[in-house]
This record gives sequence, C-alpha cells and structure tokens, in this order.
Amino acid sequence: MKNSTGNMSELPDISILKCMQCGICSGSCPSGRFMELNIRTLIKKSASGRPVLDEDELWMCTTCYSCQERCPRQIKIVDWLLSVRSKAVHEGNIKPEHKQVIKNLLDTGHAVPINQENIEKRERLGLSSLPSTVVKDDGALKDVKNLLKSCGFDTIINEDQI
Amino acid sequence: MNIGVYICHCGLNIANIVNVDVLVEKVENLEDVSLVRNIQFTCSDTGQERIIDDVKEYGLDRILIAACSPKLHEQTFRNVAEKAGLNPYMVEMVNIREQCSWVHSDNPQMATQKGYSLIKMGLARLRLLKPLDVDTVQVNKNVLVIGGGVAGIEAALNLAESGFHVYMVEKEPTIGGKMALLNEVFPTNDCSICVLAPKMTEVNNHPNIELFTLSEITEIKGNVGNFSVSVTSKPRYVLEDKCKGCIEDCSRVCQVEVPGKFDYGLGKKKAISVAIPQAVPQVAYIDTDYCVGCGLCQLACPSEAIDYEQEEEVVVLSVGAIIVATGYKLFDAAKKEEYMYGRNVDIITTMELERLLNASGPTRGKVVVPSTRKTPKKVAFIQCVGSRDESVGNPHCSRVCCMSSLKDAQLLKERYPETNITIHYIDIRASGEMYEEYYSKTQSMGIEFIRGKASEVIENGELILRFEDTLEQEITQRKYDLVVLATGMEPTESTITISNMLNLSCRTDGFFSIAHPKMRPVDSHIEGVFVAGCATGPKDIQSSIAQGSAAAAKSIRLLNLGKLETDPLCAMVDSSKCISCGLCEKICRFGKIKITDKKAEVDELSCQGCGTCSAACPTDAIDMRYFTDEQINAQIHAALEVKEEFPLIISFLCNWCSYSCADLAGVSRLNYPTNIRIIRLMCAGRVDPEFVITALENGADGVLVAGCKLGECHYVHANYSAKRRLEALQQVLEETGIRSSRLKLLWISASECDRFASTIEEFVAELKELGPIGHEVLRDLK
Repeated sequence: MKNSTGNMSELPDISILKCMQCGICSGSCPSGRFMELNIRTLIKKSASGRPVLDEDELWMCTTCYSCQERCPRQIKIVDWLLSVRSKAVHEGNIKPEHKQVIKNLLDTGHAVPINQENIEKRERLGLSSLPSTVVKDDGALKDVKNLLKSCGFDTIINEDQI
Repeated sequence: MNIGVYICHCGLNIANIVNVDVLVEKVENLEDVSLVRNIQFTCSDTGQERIIDDVKEYGLDRILIAACSPKLHEQTFRNVAEKAGLNPYMVEMVNIREQCSWVHSDNPQMATQKGYSLIKMGLARLRLLKPLDVDTVQVNKNVLVIGGGVAGIEAALNLAESGFHVYMVEKEPTIGGKMALLNEVFPTNDCSICVLAPKMTEVNNHPNIELFTLSEITEIKGNVGNFSVSVTSKPRYVLEDKCKGCIEDCSRVCQVEVPGKFDYGLGKKKAISVAIPQAVPQVAYIDTDYCVGCGLCQLACPSEAIDYEQEEEVVVLSVGAIIVATGYKLFDAAKKEEYMYGRNVDIITTMELERLLNASGPTRGKVVVPSTRKTPKKVAFIQCVGSRDESVGNPHCSRVCCMSSLKDAQLLKERYPETNITIHYIDIRASGEMYEEYYSKTQSMGIEFIRGKASEVIENGELILRFEDTLEQEITQRKYDLVVLATGMEPTESTITISNMLNLSCRTDGFFSIAHPKMRPVDSHIEGVFVAGCATGPKDIQSSIAQGSAAAAKSIRLLNLGKLETDPLCAMVDSSKCISCGLCEKICRFGKIKITDKKAEVDELSCQGCGTCSAACPTDAIDMRYFTDEQINAQIHAALEVKEEFPLIISFLCNWCSYSCADLAGVSRLNYPTNIRIIRLMCAGRVDPEFVITALENGADGVLVAGCKLGECHYVHANYSAKRRLEALQQVLEETGIRSSRLKLLWISASECDRFASTIEEFVAELKELGPIGHEVLRDLK
C-alpha cells in the first residue's frame, strides 16, 4: 500500500483546523465504542499535518453522522472522512475486500455478490435465482458497465491483485 | 484677510530635511499671507507668545502652523488663538514633520517641495474656515437604569449616593436579578443573598432612587441629556403601600398551585406569592397566568392590600442618561436533545442545583435526586451546554460556568462527603483573582475531572453518560444518578426591543456591542447610553459590579455640569436643497439625521460628525461644518495647481486609524515616496465620490482613500458605506475608460505603518506603469 503524505487538513468547504479537541465526536461514535476508531485523534493527526491516508481507522466509520451533527465547531467530520477515503482510494490505498465489491459492481452491476450461496438462498425463499435487476438484462448490464467505465471506475482497482 | 504663517523647525526634526528658509521665501508671496515666521519650537511658551503678540500687532485673523501632526498640537494652537482673541477654529495645522520631513529624509529637495505644496493646501482650506461656536444645552440630571440585577443595583446606588436621581425599571416583581437566586458565590463561597440583600434594600429605601418593578420600557424618545422614556407597569393586584409582605395569610388560603418560576419549575408556589423570601419590594404579587379570581386572598389579607381592579399604568420619565443593565438569560438545555433535559427529571441545570442548594429554595437546601428524593451518590456535571457551541448558535464561552460548577461541586462535597462528583469539561477556565487557586482546591477535595465533552445521556433504568476521556484516549460510559448541565448565557429577549428603541447595535452573538471592544467597555455607540453587566456578554459578579460602577461614573461625568457642549463638527442641512429622499436617514446608523416635515434634520447634539450622510446626499444638501465640500475641493485644487511630480496621488485619510498610521510611519522614520498629498477627514465615509472625480479631473494620477479596518470603524459602520460607495465608483471609472486601479482603498489599523508605507510605494510603482491620468484612454483609442 502506498504511503501518502497528502495534507488533508483543509479541503474545499471543510476545515478541520478549528477543531478544539473536545471529544464529543469520539464520545458519540458507535463504532468507536467497539473498534479502534477514534475520530478525534484521526482529526488531530491530520490537522497537525501528518498523513492519514493509510490509516485502517478510515474504514471503520459507519458514516452515521452523529459526530458531525454534534460537533460544536460545526466541522463536517463525516464529509471530511469521505473525502479522505476517496483520496486514499485514488492513491491506491484500498482494501482487498473493497476491491472485491468494486469488481462485483463492474461484473454484475451489483455490490452484493451473485454467487452460488446467494442464488441458493433466494431459491430457498421461493425467489427467482437472479434478482430483477440489470443482471437479468444483458443490454442494461452493458449500459451500466459502459457508464462505470466512462467514469473511470474500473481504473481504481488493479485486477491482478484481487 | 490677514493670515499669519508659522513654519516650525522643531529643533532639527523638520529643519534638517526641509529647507525652512526656502519655504518662508516662497510662502511670503502667496495671496492673503501677511506674515511668515520661522520658529525653532512653535509649541514652546515663547513660540505661543509670539503668535499672540503678532495677532494683536498685525491684526491677523487666521493662523497657519506648519509643524508636527495636528493630532499632537491642534488643541494647543486653538487655545493660543483663543487667548489672542480669535475664534479657536480659525487655525490650520499643516503636518510637515510626521508626514514630510520624517518620511522623506532620503530626498530633502522633494521634501521641501512637498512641504510647500502642503502649506498651499493648508492655506486654501484656512481661507474658507468659518468661526464655529460651541453651544451649550441644559441637560436633565436624572438617570434611568434598566434592569435591577447586580450591575443595575451597583450603578443606581453609586449615582444616588452622588446626588443623582435614579429611576430603576425592573420587569420582574423583585430586584436582585440572577444573583438573588444563587446559593453561594465563588471564590469566597459567601452566601449570595447575604451580600446582595442589603444593597437591594438600600435601593428601595434610598431617597434618590425611584423603583418600578413588574415594569418595562415601552418607548424612548430624545437624545443625550434629554431622553423621554415611557415605562409601562403591569398590575401587581397588590397595593405596594399597604402590603406588609407577610405572605402567609394570602398564600395559605390560595388554592392555586403553580410551578415556582424563580425556582426554575422545581417545587410549587401559589398564584399569590412573593418571588423569593428576600424580595424587594417586600410585596406579594398575583400571577395572572394562574389566578382564578376566587377572592379568598382578598378576604384573608389583614391590611386590605389586594386590589383586583388595578390596571396597567404608563409613566413618562425625563432623564439625561440611560444605563442598560438587562442581564442575560440561561440557555434552554432542552435544545441539546442528546442530554435528555426535560425528558428525565434527574437531569437538571446548574441554576436548578443552585435552587436545591439554597436554604430558601424548594427543598430548603437539601440536594436530592428528583425521581427518588434521595441524596445523590454519583453526580456528573456537563460543562459547555449551550456555550462554545456553534451548532446552537452560541460560539462564545459563557465565562462563569466553569467556576460555578467548581463551586457547586465543592458545596455538594462539603455537605455530602460520600457523594462522588465528576466534572466533564473541555477546558477549565478559571481566570480571575483567586480562581485558579479555587480550581486547585476543588481538585484537592477529591472531585474528579474528565477532559472530554460529554456526548450523550441515555436512559436504561439508570442514567448513563457516554463520553471520551480524551486524556486517557478512552471511549467509555458511566452511570450517574444526577446529571447537572452547566447551561451557558444568552442575550435576553429585551435586548432586541431595547436596541430597537435606542438604536444600539448588537454583536453576532446577540449581546449589545460596545463603542470599543477594549477601550470603552461600558459606552454604547449612542451618546448618553451606557451598558453594564451581562447585557454586553457573559460576566462574573465581580465584573458586573465593576461595570455598574463604571457606567455610573460615566453618567456622572456626562451630566455633572448640568449642561453639555455641542461638537461643532457636526452635519448641517441646507433644506432648500433637500429633496427628502431619505438616503441620509438610512445611512446614519446612529439615527441622528431624520426626515421631519419632508426635510432632513440633524440632531446636532449627538451627531458623531463622520460625514457619511454628506457623502451620500445626492443633492449635496448636507455639508460638514469643519470639513465642508468647498474646503476639501480647495485643498484638492491647491495640491494639483502645479503638478510638481509624477505620479501625484491625492489621499483622503480618516482622522482615527489611517491618519494616525501615517503619523506612526513618520515616528518610525520609514521612508516612502514624496508623491502623496494627504487630506485629513474625520472618516473615510466622508469621501464623496465627487472628491475623487475632482482630483482625477484636475490631474491627480491616483487617489488613495484609507480608513480604519472593516469592523473597527470609529463610527461603527461608516467605513462599510465608504467601501460600497467607492467600489461602485471604481466600476464607473472602469466604464469611462479610466483604470479602476487609480482609486485605491486601504483599510488599515493605526499600527500598520509598514503596510501604509509599502502601499504608497506599490501605488506609485503601479501608477508609473500605468502612465499619467488619461493615458489609458488615449492608448485604448489607438
């Protein structure tokens, strides 16, 4: 994974520099109660200019927005985090699991995999083996693939690594 | 016209650079000049006597002093003129030291040339000066104090003791404000009411104080020295002169139980009650929101004090000054939904805790968990509820909540040593005399401090507080049986009504703004109106008392002589030119120019003299007495009569920050190009676009207008008017083919002399590049 030094403390419309480290964000964080995510220290780290793009914590946020709603300095914490994630992905800092989801989307137009296990589950529930989505319609699926390709979505994964 | 010109050497300060002999020789030949002298030190006693003798001997009628900055010695020479029998305003000072010799030491020849030009400009203005009279008006020496909290009480007592008659208006049934409700006060842990009650009683008994409770201000007219104030008093339904304050008889028979307003809803009162046992006046009142009019109290009252027929009364008072001490209100904690205030009774505010701790409160001083009525075992304080919180529109720190929670924690610990107390804080702010020591004592008492703003309270049979201990980096939760929210301070509702009535301005945090955020803490922007206590922002009791005293002292200073002098530098209206468009009325944020009978009328006593109305007037109907259009135009023409150098810049500087800044550049001996001719005005807002056009039409290559930094204008908003007006002019210039960059605007503080000097250097360079005025029009034609 690439070690980036990109400074993420000031993004368009979001500045984390005015954070006073009160901790209401971390105290409100449902993920933080169970995982090692501490959004406050992540903000602190980035605000002081240190790189955060390869932090695992980035991916532990559920984007519930509790921190952002309660931030007394009105810092758009989750919006900031999503921008950081996006930057991280573009710099190649992407988890294999996320790559798999992207690949699913590119192949089938679905993030949820259409694999044997899911097909069997559907049939057990009395559903048709494939959902009534683009996966059933070759033309539509082709359109989706074209769309994704034209946005350059395919370039963010290197298929050899999956 | 007989003008005497005095060119000062200032020792060598001027004479070392500027060739004074050359100046004398050239000035002697100018029109209307009867006498030119060069004097070593004009400000010295001998210099002053020389002028007085000359006036008498040669019959001089106007005096020009070319010396240091007028900011230093203008008053000195006005006094000299007066001693010599002239009107003090027939003096013009030309600044050839701070703005000439000291800043052009690298170019003595051009400095002398510029000195000559400045004297010519001064003469042009001096010829047009008119004698001005300082009028005196009689003032009313009564003072109105709005608000009977601790700040208002202190102001009223100081005034009354100094012999001034005071009207105090309080909207509640008792005076004493929030302080009267507190239990004990930091940092001494004194009983609050014990130190306040004697002062409350004194207000009521003082022969110089007239007290109006249950009353509000409904109208204010007039100006400094002579305000007319309407006070509307709500009926109390109890006759103040008959009620003995015994309360037992009436309250006992009253069948209507109501939530105790002064206990913040804790406990119950009756519809007829006294606000607090120590209420002043010690008179019952009937809460009409709840009273059913059964008549029992009337039957029970032994002194026949109950009167259901009482009606609202309006009194009109005449006062010379007003002290606004309207205090604060507490943040509504229910707005922070995550803390569950109002949904769980065991979550209370610090004010409610004060009432519980208070011996005359609803529990007679017993602190209990409301749901169980038992002594709390684990108490949490949550700091900054509604303070330092932009999400509820309160970015400010409320200043007292840290100390008040420390105090409550100490008192709880003293009374209930077994109780565990934790304070959840962001930063502990204990800045005040003996406050840090108080903090340290609180720590030593075993009270726990956890750094991290509590994020939520959840209810699961018990109260659970979630938070991060940011010092331990631990995200966790804890059970408590009583949670106390340290609610912040907000401006009261009456802030808006009072500010509308008096034309006062408010800051973005909603509290009243003051005339200068540092130097004039109790002056409002309106003459004769002072503000004290929490009306201008959160304060502790000590500071509120200091401000009450300060506001009283300021009122005494204003009214003591019984008369006020008008400042002759005010606006004047030529009503034959006025078309009653109302633009001046809109632009004057002091509300001192009004359209009456279809003509603009200036309140000369309280006009601030900025001149922004004059610049805005489309028909030139408004002029400024000491800075007339004619005088300013004459200065511009004199500066451009002979274009001595290229580029030539005409500059308009405001009297406050920017002119002082130019002086400071001199005092700091910075060098900048000689190409600038400075014209002093009271405010950048005075700069009429016509001045700029006149300058450019007559050959100025550039115009620099400088004023105080935006938001720091001496006249509050006038520099914003200047900015709007002159930016529009820049567009107009561009449309006519003249580069808008020829008009430069600079918002600068008095200390930024480096920036002032470099701005001139850059401007000169830019104009050299651009060529003489009009060059771009020719170039564009080609």
